[in-house]
Amino acid sequence: MTITVSASGLSLHYGRTRALDEVGLRLSPGVTGLLGPNGAGKTTLLRVLATAVPADRGAFTVLGHDPGTVRGRQEVRRRLGYLPQTPGFHPDFTAFAFVDYVAVLKELTDRRARHREVRRVLEEVGLGDVRGRRIKKLSGGMRQRVALAAALVGDPGFLVLDEPTVGLDPEQRMRFRELIAGAGEGRTVLLSTHQTEDVAMLCRRVLVMAAGSVRFDGTPAELTARAAGRVWRSDRRDAGAKAGWRTGTGEFRQVGDPPEGAELVEPTLEDGYLLVLDGAVDAEVAA
Amino acid sequence: MNTVVVEESPVPSAAAKGTGGPRGVAALARFEARRLLTSAPVVFSFAVYILWTVWRTRSSWDGFPALQDADRATQGGPLLVGLGVLLAADFAALRDRRRGTQEWFGTLVLPAGRRTAAHLLALLPVVLLTAVCVAAQFTWEALKPGAVGHGSPAELLVGPLTVLLLGAAGVLLARLAASVWAAPLLGVLYLFFLVLGTGPSGDTGGTAWLYPVVSTSGNSPFPSDLLGRPAAWHALYLAGVALCLAFLAVLVAARGRGVSARAGLAVALAMALTGGVAQSRGDSAELLAARERASAAPEKEQRCVTRDGSTYCAFDEWVPRADDWAGVVGRVRSLAGDPARDRPLLVRQRIEARYGLDSDSAIPASTRRHQVTVGTAWGGNRVPEFSAAVAGVLVAGSEAAAAELCDGRMVTVMWLAVGWEDDPMGTLRRVRLDDSVEGAAVVLAPTDPLSMTAGQTDVVRRLLEKDRDGVAAKARAHWDELTSPGVTTARAAELLGVPGPEKADSCEE
Amino acid sequence: MRGVTRDLVRPVARTVPWRALGAAGGVGLLLAAAVRWADGPPPSTALLALRCAALTGGLGLASLLDDPARHTTAAVPVPRPVRQALRAALVAPPVALWWAAVLLLVPADLRPPAADVTLEAAAVSLLACAGAAVALRLTEGTRPGRAVAGALLAAALTGPLLLPDRWTLLVQPADPRWAASHDRWAGLAVATAVVWALSAREPLRRGRP
Repeated sequence: MTITVSASGLSLHYGRTRALDEVGLRLSPGVTGLLGPNGAGKTTLLRVLATAVPADRGAFTVLGHDPGTVRGRQEVRRRLGYLPQTPGFHPDFTAFAFVDYVAVLKELTDRRARHREVRRVLEEVGLGDVRGRRIKKLSGGMRQRVALAAALVGDPGFLVLDEPTVGLDPEQRMRFRELIAGAGEGRTVLLSTHQTEDVAMLCRRVLVMAAGSVRFDGTPAELTARAAGRVWRSDRRDAGAKAGWRTGTGEFRQVGDPPEGAELVEPTLEDGYLLVLDGAVDAEVAA
Repeated sequence: MNTVVVEESPVPSAAAKGTGGPRGVAALARFEARRLLTSAPVVFSFAVYILWTVWRTRSSWDGFPALQDADRATQGGPLLVGLGVLLAADFAALRDRRRGTQEWFGTLVLPAGRRTAAHLLALLPVVLLTAVCVAAQFTWEALKPGAVGHGSPAELLVGPLTVLLLGAAGVLLARLAASVWAAPLLGVLYLFFLVLGTGPSGDTGGTAWLYPVVSTSGNSPFPSDLLGRPAAWHALYLAGVALCLAFLAVLVAARGRGVSARAGLAVALAMALTGGVAQSRGDSAELLAARERASAAPEKEQRCVTRDGSTYCAFDEWVPRADDWAGVVGRVRSLAGDPARDRPLLVRQRIEARYGLDSDSAIPASTRRHQVTVGTAWGGNRVPEFSAAVAGVLVAGSEAAAAELCDGRMVTVMWLAVGWEDDPMGTLRRVRLDDSVEGAAVVLAPTDPLSMTAGQTDVVRRLLEKDRDGVAAKARAHWDELTSPGVTTARAAELLGVPGPEKADSCEE
Repeated sequence: MRGVTRDLVRPVARTVPWRALGAAGGVGLLLAAAVRWADGPPPSTALLALRCAALTGGLGLASLLDDPARHTTAAVPVPRPVRQALRAALVAPPVALWWAAVLLLVPADLRPPAADVTLEAAAVSLLACAGAAVALRLTEGTRPGRAVAGALLAAALTGPLLLPDRWTLLVQPADPRWAASHDRWAGLAVATAVVWALSAREPLRRGRP
């Protein structure tokens, strides 16, 4: 498996808060999901990898280029698509004009080829019909797709997407997954999300972050396997449960340390995620 | 099947408590007031205002303020605070729109007009804080040992009212122009037209009073009853304009609806018009007549007191200052010889009020024998100036004669005038127009100035470098000759025991 | 890069906050016109009007680098200095024309030395742009203009009060310190231009230029 992005020792502090604490990772083509609670440092990691902010310490390479130099950073940016957590727009631009503007900023100078490319990505995100409409007239989901189109334009080899599915309705989200899965063919995609289903359905690999560092790195199946034998069902809440809730059937579905003879059920990726986080919290307390 | 039970909310709904009404407005106003008081423009402008005021007030009027002037001096600083409040109030009232929350807030219980009213009410703590600062500044002046006169509450109100007016203007601006750029640009216009350069000048009648702060001031304070400033009408005018802007803002926000706002606007307009018309009537005939009397024949208006045999006549408000004057007269006389040493003087306070507050008209020298003029200002340079006049009268007989002194008597006058000071050389420098202690120069006095030749300056300088008591003894011994007309500078120097001028000099050269 | 710059002219021209600049320009013209229409104002008023007009220009230019799409375009290969310089180059001709109009509106007999006041105006404009660039460098905000404008206004108000006499910037043409103060203005203009250039660059490591 070729490694397209590798990082080691990435650290970044905001005052006394350690947003990134010695983060190391290796990414290869395909979609990698980044899970973690709010404030875990996901967005900071994505911004560092997207060269939007420099790190305090550490180094990384993207597609063989080192963003630690002016030239290297420019080379990385030529191969990069970035969708920030809160994308902003010039509201008076049309969707086409805005993506075209970003395309120029990505140095697509051949006007006809660029316009073709802009039309292609707008088609791809399903905005072909509204590309002449001003962004201020578009709905929230449509704006999110304009931002995705801006990230996709120019066929970048490394795609950094920060919570792209926030605020989308279920149908739009399905459409997005399709898009991202398509984008992941032959490209390296790093996708941060709160939606464990996104990860389960899309990703070849998954990273779990907490408190500025990576706590899990593996396949979704491996993350799910973390919860094997630790999810059970019973008619009352048990003491060993880290989390549990009454389901629609009236029984409790619980995750944690099951009592003797508990009725085990099939774990999901979310169960594994919760347990990884729980372990992370335990580790923090022990430290 | 899952059932969704929507519980009755335990929190009383807004409608139940009637928070859409005055209580809701008050709650929002408190919230906005806190934000306004801690907003960057307000904090910054108050910091600058307070620092500047404290720095200025430490030495204002050389420690001898006339309170009828000190009240006006509180009006400048709030112009700066007003600008900060204008910006902050505009930004606060624009906040709904800027963050795209207007639609959301539009669904809340408080309608737009009342939200605007809350923004306006939120100005009150800032206005109150300004009033506290103004009161503190004035109280500080009033507590200075040298303070005389009376302040006017209406003049003190101008500062806080200016802040209210500008704050209301900020809120109105936010309702008229949704851009955050409107307020800073209006701020520059405000600075240019109202504060820095092109403000009211010269004439105090008519349109000048349409400006928020009209700071007519000349060099010398006037007695309170001669000021003729329509301060109360002006305060009414300012309050009226501020309320007009406020009610206009509410009406614009409520799209013209609201009976009480319309009624309020009408009342405010009436206030502004009444004040505006009344304040611009100019100086009344009685005032002009009173100023004429005080300028031409002050003896009819003044009260006299006696100190050490001399008589001090002053306008009522300045009578407490007679002791300060008597102190200077006593010290000058202590250096003089007989018979001047015990000669009773009449110290008369005089003003020139006929040309208005902001004229700096000179007072002509008095021709009466043994009468000295004192102005309405005191402290700092006014002291040696008065001292020079006293010395001139003791030596030459009258102020008019002293102003024409040309001969060696000038040496005695200047030595008397500054010799008693702790720092006579520094005082000599200050009392001379060009701040020098060499060469010919004009010496300032309350009325006509005196003049020193270069030779006289040299002799006086040498005298001041010598032992004071020794010179005083010689001055007393040769007093008659030193003060006789025609004595030369060289002779005076000889009598007082210092080298004379290098060459003979006179003021004719 | 040249092709990119050419292609960027049109979209970047659309992202320039023309309305704020236009409003500021209008107020500046109004100030100059007020001098023209006024009844025999002294030359000091004309100078004050020009300085206030320069200040309004600065307030408008404080918004020059406002960019709501900042984060969306955070990681593009066209460097930030190029994008900022392009914006500056786009507004420079209209701003220069505007300033010429402001100067010409002031009657010739009242007008202070044009080159010197132009230097003052240029320094104020550069100060506004440099302030915006520094704000962009130090914060994550997309619209630093309003805060920079506030700071500029505050500096204009308090600078004359706080600057010691030796460094005074605001003097009258008849004042013997006029020439020396304009050396300081030139120094200020150069210094702010350098600050702008330095803070426009994107750092490779945090806390270092």
